[in-house]
Amino acid sequence: MSDAILAPTAAPPRAPGIWRQSWYRFRRNRAGMIGLCIVTLVVLLAILAPFIAPYVPDDTSAMLRGAARRPPSALHWLGTDRNGYDVFTRTLYGARTALMVGLGAMLIASVIGVLIGGIAGFSGGLVDELLMRFAEFFMVIPVFVVILAVVRLFGIVVVGTWMEDIPNLNMMTIIVLLGCFEWPPIARMARAEFLRLRGAEFVEAAHCIGSSRRDILLRHILPNAMPPLIVLVALGIGGAILAETMVSFLGFGDPKAVSWGQSLFFNYEALKVAPWAVLSPGAALFVTVLGFNLLADGLTDAFNPRLRQ
Amino acid sequence: MGTARYIARRLIFSLCLIIGVSIILFTMINAIGNPIEVLLAERPGITEEMIQAVTEYYGLHGSVTDRYFTWIWALLRLDFGTSIIYNLPVSEMLVTYGLETLKIQVPAILIALCVSVLISVLAATRQYSRVDFGVIAGAMVGHSLPGFLLGIILILVFSYTLGILPSYGAYSTRNPLWGSDMADALWHMVLPVGMLVFFNCATLTLLLRSSLVDVLRQDFITAARASGLPERRVVFGHALRNAFIPVLTYLGILFGLMLGTAPVTETVFTWPGLGALYIMAIQQLDYPLIMGATMVITVMLVTATLLTDIAYVAIDPRIRLG
Amino acid sequence: MLSTLASASSPVTAAPPAPLLEVRDLRVHFFVREGVVRAVDGVDFRVNPGETLGIVGESGSGKTVSSMSIMRLVPPPARNVGGQILFEGEDLLAKTPDEMEALRGRRIAMIFQNPATSLNPIYSIGAQLGEILRWHLKLSRAEADARVVELLTLVGISDPATRLRQFPHELSGGMKQRVGIARALLCNPSLVLADEPTTALDVTIQAQILELLADLQARLKMSMVLVTHDMGVVARMAHRITVMYAGRVCESADAATIFNAPQHPYTRALLESMPRIDQSYTGTKRQPLPTIAGRPPNLLNPPPGCRFHDRCPEASAECRRLLPLETTIAPGHSVSCLKRGSEGIAA
Repeated sequence: MSDAILAPTAAPPRAPGIWRQSWYRFRRNRAGMIGLCIVTLVVLLAILAPFIAPYVPDDTSAMLRGAARRPPSALHWLGTDRNGYDVFTRTLYGARTALMVGLGAMLIASVIGVLIGGIAGFSGGLVDELLMRFAEFFMVIPVFVVILAVVRLFGIVVVGTWMEDIPNLNMMTIIVLLGCFEWPPIARMARAEFLRLRGAEFVEAAHCIGSSRRDILLRHILPNAMPPLIVLVALGIGGAILAETMVSFLGFGDPKAVSWGQSLFFNYEALKVAPWAVLSPGAALFVTVLGFNLLADGLTDAFNPRLRQ
Repeated sequence: MGTARYIARRLIFSLCLIIGVSIILFTMINAIGNPIEVLLAERPGITEEMIQAVTEYYGLHGSVTDRYFTWIWALLRLDFGTSIIYNLPVSEMLVTYGLETLKIQVPAILIALCVSVLISVLAATRQYSRVDFGVIAGAMVGHSLPGFLLGIILILVFSYTLGILPSYGAYSTRNPLWGSDMADALWHMVLPVGMLVFFNCATLTLLLRSSLVDVLRQDFITAARASGLPERRVVFGHALRNAFIPVLTYLGILFGLMLGTAPVTETVFTWPGLGALYIMAIQQLDYPLIMGATMVITVMLVTATLLTDIAYVAIDPRIRLG
Repeated sequence: MLSTLASASSPVTAAPPAPLLEVRDLRVHFFVREGVVRAVDGVDFRVNPGETLGIVGESGSGKTVSSMSIMRLVPPPARNVGGQILFEGEDLLAKTPDEMEALRGRRIAMIFQNPATSLNPIYSIGAQLGEILRWHLKLSRAEADARVVELLTLVGISDPATRLRQFPHELSGGMKQRVGIARALLCNPSLVLADEPTTALDVTIQAQILELLADLQARLKMSMVLVTHDMGVVARMAHRITVMYAGRVCESADAATIFNAPQHPYTRALLESMPRIDQSYTGTKRQPLPTIAGRPPNLLNPPPGCRFHDRCPEASAECRRLLPLETTIAPGHSVSCLKRGSEGIAA
């Protein structure tokens, strides 16, 4: 073989990559853009909460003034709740907790899911069968009910041990639990993608030019398996935020945390007299979940042009 | 025949699931420590007899495996033990409360199914019209609105503001509506069932509409039209049945979601169902009740999944091969 | 290939009989966001009783849309914007939806391109064919089953009683297409529309299905519109041929005339681009297979003049300006080309 063959030829103009193309398509998707705007807004409000909020989150001075459970006013934009907290401030800070829960839980779920799905898809055979049955098992059991029980029991067990001193232990437990129960959809998708990509021509081409296994996995398969996983993660963040709110609403949350679920739990009994204290965190939860759902919807369309009508 | 084998396989998997959950549940409870000690941790006033009863029921003298089999053997005889807080047979309580839960959930999913079919057909046969766009937007919003929030809004509107529907409970303590227990029960069901219908309907419509749009574009639909079948038969007979196949899985998942979040629904409406009972049980650490309720919820869920699997065979002939 | 050409050239051309179907100046446009796509823009053709009309054209020429509009089944955003479709003397475009429903499947039936997707996967063969009979002819279940078995036998399916209870996924592609043909013939329609009935099949199966169609056509004396892009297929099957290009008709004539004395430059180019058995394409004396240079015009904003002008070897300045109208140059032979004496209108 002469060197002429290996001589570099003029590189053709680079076609826009999959990410850039997806972004072009995403920009045209109205639902997706609304979702992106909502999510961006929630993130900004969460970050800037200390600068926007008129009070500090555990300020109960309204209570001392006898101004608890007051309807919205110039002093308290969304009113005060039964503990004398400023509802607007609590709702704003609640976004921080919500995002932390959503991102934390999905980070854990993604790591577990991609690992298990990847191993199943890459090894195949009995390992694959067993891991997928395991995932299916997690998808059928009543996850929410189990989480409630574990949170409660764990709260008792730690009493008197070193773990008691961990700050926000209760919230951490919930995040870890949500992560540990939300991985199966990700694992299934990761497995399907790994199976699809393992046989793809460009992966075989990479094998042929002698790329290492690690290189193929990390540089060829993983990036291409990302799009559908990102959609699942976006959906999962909304789901995890909702789950945490429900756990807290039932009274199994972290009593010290400033979260929407906690506000709902504290104020639900006073729904009749102070509905604003319930509706505000409720509306915040709804808008956030809607934002992530719309975002996921737009991403699905952007990544799968064939599915677009 | 293939169908029988398929169902048998799913049946065995369901059984494995139930056994798996029972093992996990048992291990979890035991990993935490001696149930008695945990019990005593938050209940200093517990009597010696109660401890005795619990010890007896779980065979706490034996090893962990012994205890597991003692428990399973009792379950198989439908002996769920006695509730610590209520001092009643757990099996009896589970039936009473379980029926209350099913009373709102089964009608809810059936009504939701019918309504979403009608809405989906309306939207899918008018793709890209204003009706279609409105349905998509409404379903997306409804799908993102957590059920319990909707419940709270319904209570605020219909109970507190309009005062026409009860906000809590399954029955009036006295003076039932129109002097009829039946009417009274239905009256109390309106809000919780309405909330569950809306929640399920939004998700089902979202799925069914897009599935129906896909199916309506298929050749066999044009072929059915070209054969002169009336549009009503083409849509309901040919398109809808095909469109249902991908939605079927979600029907099982949806029922599971509804059952799994029953604690939330029933807290919002103070409904005396399995979910509310379960919350009570874990708050009070009523072991027999926790384990009994978890097992019953699992069995209900697994049954729903199994029914979905069987429905697949009934609706899609291609399944029988696989 | 030559021998097949001969077999098709046996038309019954005495005085033209009253046509079974006559399409006049049909226009079907697609109304999309970017504008109006003139997929079918003034098309005429006719089908005589007992005769097969082949509509030939490349993809996008409007041949499929034309046949779907006979059924009044063009899907939105396409809409019929003009013309007449006279079937047994009645204008189909003037009929109510109910009248069309009664007509479809009973007097006009259709055979689809892809047998894998044109049968409903969740109904048994007997169920989906029987449903049509029970609806149109009000047959009982048993009568319908008997009729379906009869037709399955007619289209050459072995053991029809068993097939009745089978589902589409249990049949082979060729078998499914036979079922599709049986479905079209259920109610003894006077006109059958076949849209690329063999394109999705294996080559060996294609021949069998074509043979079956030709045989059925002759035996049942039915009229057929055969839509295809394949000159070989029309050569075997059609008595008359209409050549379409970019939503308009180029040339219509009986099969022998089209193959032996084509007039329109597009028809000629199409025939020249067919591989010939007496021509070597390999070896030292090989010649390249002629192709038609260029590509069909964008029908969203078609250029003025003849639709074929930018690919036509004979095009002149007026071809770029005037749209040729269809002109009869001999009995039963019409062509639309300014170079063949067609009148042109500015468009």
